[in-house]
Amino acid sequence: MMRHDPERAIERAAAELRRPVRFGSAFDERVMAEVRGLPRHRLGAWRRLLRPRTITVSPLFSGLAAALLFAAAISTGHAIGTAGSDTASGAEALATAVTPSKGPHDVQFVLVAPTARKVSVVGDFNDWDSAHQAYQAEHRGGGVWSVTASVPVGHHRYSFVVDDSVWVTDPTAPRVIDDDYGRPNSALVVGETGR
Amino acid sequence: MRPGRRRAALLALLCLSPVFVASVARAQTEGDARLGRLDSVARRSVGAIVDSARAAKLPTEPLVDKALEGAKKGAEGDRIVMAVRALSAELRSARAALGPDAGADEITSGANALHAGFQARDLTRLRAAGQHAGRRGVTLPLTVATDLVARSVPAPTALSIVLSLTRSGVRDADLSVFQRNVRLDIERGADPSTAAQTRARGAMLRAGRSS
Repeated sequence: MMRHDPERAIERAAAELRRPVRFGSAFDERVMAEVRGLPRHRLGAWRRLLRPRTITVSPLFSGLAAALLFAAAISTGHAIGTAGSDTASGAEALATAVTPSKGPHDVQFVLVAPTARKVSVVGDFNDWDSAHQAYQAEHRGGGVWSVTASVPVGHHRYSFVVDDSVWVTDPTAPRVIDDDYGRPNSALVVGETGR
Repeated sequence: MRPGRRRAALLALLCLSPVFVASVARAQTEGDARLGRLDSVARRSVGAIVDSARAAKLPTEPLVDKALEGAKKGAEGDRIVMAVRALSAELRSARAALGPDAGADEITSGANALHAGFQARDLTRLRAAGQHAGRRGVTLPLTVATDLVARSVPAPTALSIVLSLTRSGVRDADLSVFQRNVRLDIERGADPSTAAQTRARGAMLRAGRSS
């Protein structure tokens, strides 16, 4: 008999709890008015941001997020690889007037090649691209070819390419002993480095 | 988050993380799109040399440029790698000789000077002379010294001449005129060393008068 008493007590408590509680129609409004009346937290907005939360993420969403991170890393990697490209600074053109400027300088390249049909300038300033339009020399008559092109400040190596096949150093420019590939180059110092 | 979902999300991240890390490494090594002109083996090797130079805070553009020059000149991949590796070593030596505050252009022209036959201590002496004379850098003196050697002036003679010019406070514009005059003299048949020494005396006289 004593064993059943606690069960009855629990049943009574459960029945009491199941009975719906009736609030007046103004209850919600009164509670919200009390809440609004409380003083605002000094770091209200920050607190919301800093409060730990449980976020549910689906496997599909996490995969997409990882893919986005992957794409961002690729693009960042390319930026790192090319960030050092524009490092030339402070030099002075051997053949041009002294201009204390950090920007690119116009440099005139001249080659006397009476039998040439085409002359272009290649160097580190155009990635050795003989098809670069800005570095195609024009025939001025009498075998004189020239082109004036913008060259960044700094130390440069370059050469002429005649008829897309013959590499010719600039006879008026300083030479560079860097015949790693069998054909030497000329040197050009653009900008102001010394005095 | 439910344990099942959490496990799946973690699994997905774990699967993708090696790809992510490998991609970042690959992007840094082969990040310069211009190296796409090289074959894959040379591209990887050059990329590794460039990364190593970047980590050592050396100028990397001359290395990429050396590789592109080789590709344009039709050199084989292993020859390109050899040239880039040699230049990387010369850049390191040049930077060590010129000091930590040397600029990228100075280091590059110093590397060219080493390649031409100058010693590391020659670069150090030239930099010290330049600083003593109030120069901001010795890119042009190094370029002129290399040019003299390329025109058959022995390296010790060329160094002595350019050191004297630098100590005398010869300006860049006058150094350019000196280089041009020596070239013209040699083209007219003069002995290279005699032409360089004679023209240097004239340049120093002018520098003395103008200072």
